[in-house]
Amino acid sequence: MDIQIAGYGIICAIGNDAQSVLRSLQEGRTGIGPMRYLQSSHKELPVGEVKLSNEEMRRMLGQDEKAIISRTVLMGAIAIRQALQHAQCSMVNGQWSMKGKRVVVINGTTVGGMDVTEQYLLRMKEEDDLLPLLEKHDCGNSTRKMADLAGLQDAEVCTISTACSSAVNAIILGSEMLKTGEADIVIAGGTEALSLFHLNGFNALMILDKAQCRPFDKTRAGLNLGEGAAFVVLKAPSPLPLWGSAAVSLKRETLAAMKHSPKGGAGRGPFIRGYGNRCDAFHQTASSENGEGAYLAMTDALQMAGLKPQDIHYINAHGTGTPNNDASESAAIRRVFGENIPPVSSTKGFTGHTTSASGSIETVISILALLNGFVPANLGWKEQDESCIAPIGNEELKMKNEEFATARNVLCNSFGFGGNDSALIIGVSPSPSKEGEKHQEAEARVVGEAVITDIEELGELREFVSAGEARRMGKLLKAATITSLKALKEAGIETPDAIITATAFGMLETSEKFLVDMLENGEETLSPTLFMQSTHNTIGSAIAIRTKCHGYNMTYSQGSDSLEWAMRDARRLIETGKARTVLVGCHDEATPLFQEFCRRMGKPVPQDIYSRSIVLSRSSHA
Amino acid sequence: MEQLINDLKLQIKEALNLEELSMEEFDENAPLFGEDGIGLDSIDVLEIIVLLEKNYGIRLANPKEGRAIFQSVKTIAEYVQANRKK
Repeated sequence: MDIQIAGYGIICAIGNDAQSVLRSLQEGRTGIGPMRYLQSSHKELPVGEVKLSNEEMRRMLGQDEKAIISRTVLMGAIAIRQALQHAQCSMVNGQWSMKGKRVVVINGTTVGGMDVTEQYLLRMKEEDDLLPLLEKHDCGNSTRKMADLAGLQDAEVCTISTACSSAVNAIILGSEMLKTGEADIVIAGGTEALSLFHLNGFNALMILDKAQCRPFDKTRAGLNLGEGAAFVVLKAPSPLPLWGSAAVSLKRETLAAMKHSPKGGAGRGPFIRGYGNRCDAFHQTASSENGEGAYLAMTDALQMAGLKPQDIHYINAHGTGTPNNDASESAAIRRVFGENIPPVSSTKGFTGHTTSASGSIETVISILALLNGFVPANLGWKEQDESCIAPIGNEELKMKNEEFATARNVLCNSFGFGGNDSALIIGVSPSPSKEGEKHQEAEARVVGEAVITDIEELGELREFVSAGEARRMGKLLKAATITSLKALKEAGIETPDAIITATAFGMLETSEKFLVDMLENGEETLSPTLFMQSTHNTIGSAIAIRTKCHGYNMTYSQGSDSLEWAMRDARRLIETGKARTVLVGCHDEATPLFQEFCRRMGKPVPQDIYSRSIVLSRSSHA
Repeated sequence: MEQLINDLKLQIKEALNLEELSMEEFDENAPLFGEDGIGLDSIDVLEIIVLLEKNYGIRLANPKEGRAIFQSVKTIAEYVQANRKK
């Protein structure tokens, strides 16, 4: 079953809506330039900022000009409103009317409300009045606030946090929920504002280019960070599709009707035809030489779509501009496509790397390219690098654009820290109907479980890992490693088929250390190791690397609902036959500062450590 | 030089959390990278770059440069002595 994209919204460095993004893409105009809104001392770093102040965005959303709202939330709410408008939904009294429909908002973000936290954290140590701002920090709360602000107060919300692949993973989850009938309408995508935290983190990892980024070019020297949000409105196809299941030829006028028009109305397409999420299981911040995770994700997506490599007409690459990513992605693309690589471009030279939002921003860019029959340029590319595929060059672009008018399918790659690799295929028409998609009756059974609730129990770690391996682990990683390996041992499994993590606050200790050091001592000489271990999916990736698990790897961060979302996903994987064994973990930690804040607010004080791992296995009915 | 080597060992041990490596075992001539040495990796290179900037005012713009200088504690000490700003 293909999922219908009924509408989309986007805000990024090259435009505040789909029309202006389309224009910038067609005119080859970059949105990367000197810093204007982010208050960083690293003025030498070019960035792809959304060209609006927070105040202007609050005004657009009808909010009090002085209200404290995270930029991540503001951009997300703007993109969602655009998407619903484009899908021709109607708004009544500040709320979208979708009577009787089960609506779910799935958001990909990692930074969440970090921009607010970094502005007020030091003052919170002294001023009680500011403590309530703390709740704007975590990803789950940001998503709730964003949905409310967008006019979706009654919708269920969920946050995926797998670093830079988050937004594509949100679209994947949304598609799965529509296929199983768990939702009627899904609004999926991602949002991420620039923050001092991740700008300095990427800087500490020495992967930021001080010049305009040049993905796949021989002289590439890193990425430029960007920001933005994009969301798509997803529906299961209506019972009477516009094109019959055997539709092969697409008339030009039909295609024209689907093009983005200012009046809205995306027709009945395009469709999400296939997707894959895999783990490179190689390193927290580097990609493997042969691009194993990316290769598997693209292969899965093609298989689900029932397409051959030659059916793909354009690849929107992840292409960050770092020497490592572009070489690894090129190796993976060569493995999948052989000699016949379709036009490829990375659009990060336009938008910058919008991290957790990049997957949905590039999905919308891919849709715009597909429906308007053009290939976006790979800005900045001049010289071929032996280790890289050659993206679409300027001379080829015009010629290819003529061919592309009849293109039908595009592939969009999105990769994240921890080797979290995803691929999405979007087509103008649905797949011929696939009968027999029925799954066998199966049930998920718990076959292993382990829990840690006390720091004292972490001594067990050395039974599982060497001193060298343990040296970088904070208490959360130690606890998660112990419970995961114990639960797997009880289940008699070395490598699970999939790893799903639930965490409300993620890597709190390392993130706080990095943040406090930056706020107290300035934006120089910050620890790359701390930043490398700051994303929520650090945990799931570490377990994947240890268990050599290249399967599906997902991280949920939706406050106290995180575990429930993770268990739902695990059951879905097993019941739909996508996995036989799934390792689910629920891991959270507290720091002395966080505990003190909770105490001062009169809230329950979270315990130092909590880690629970559960192994689920498929058990067929007799 | 002796003092500088000792300082560097302590700073590296702390920055990279090499708790179980005693000062006696920490040979200044042992290769820092690779399995037959201390076994450091590319993230450690970045941490040592930060450490040199913090403690000696030395700025390395390219991690690849670091790799050549960071063969052993001895080679780092020689580089620091020649290039330190504080």
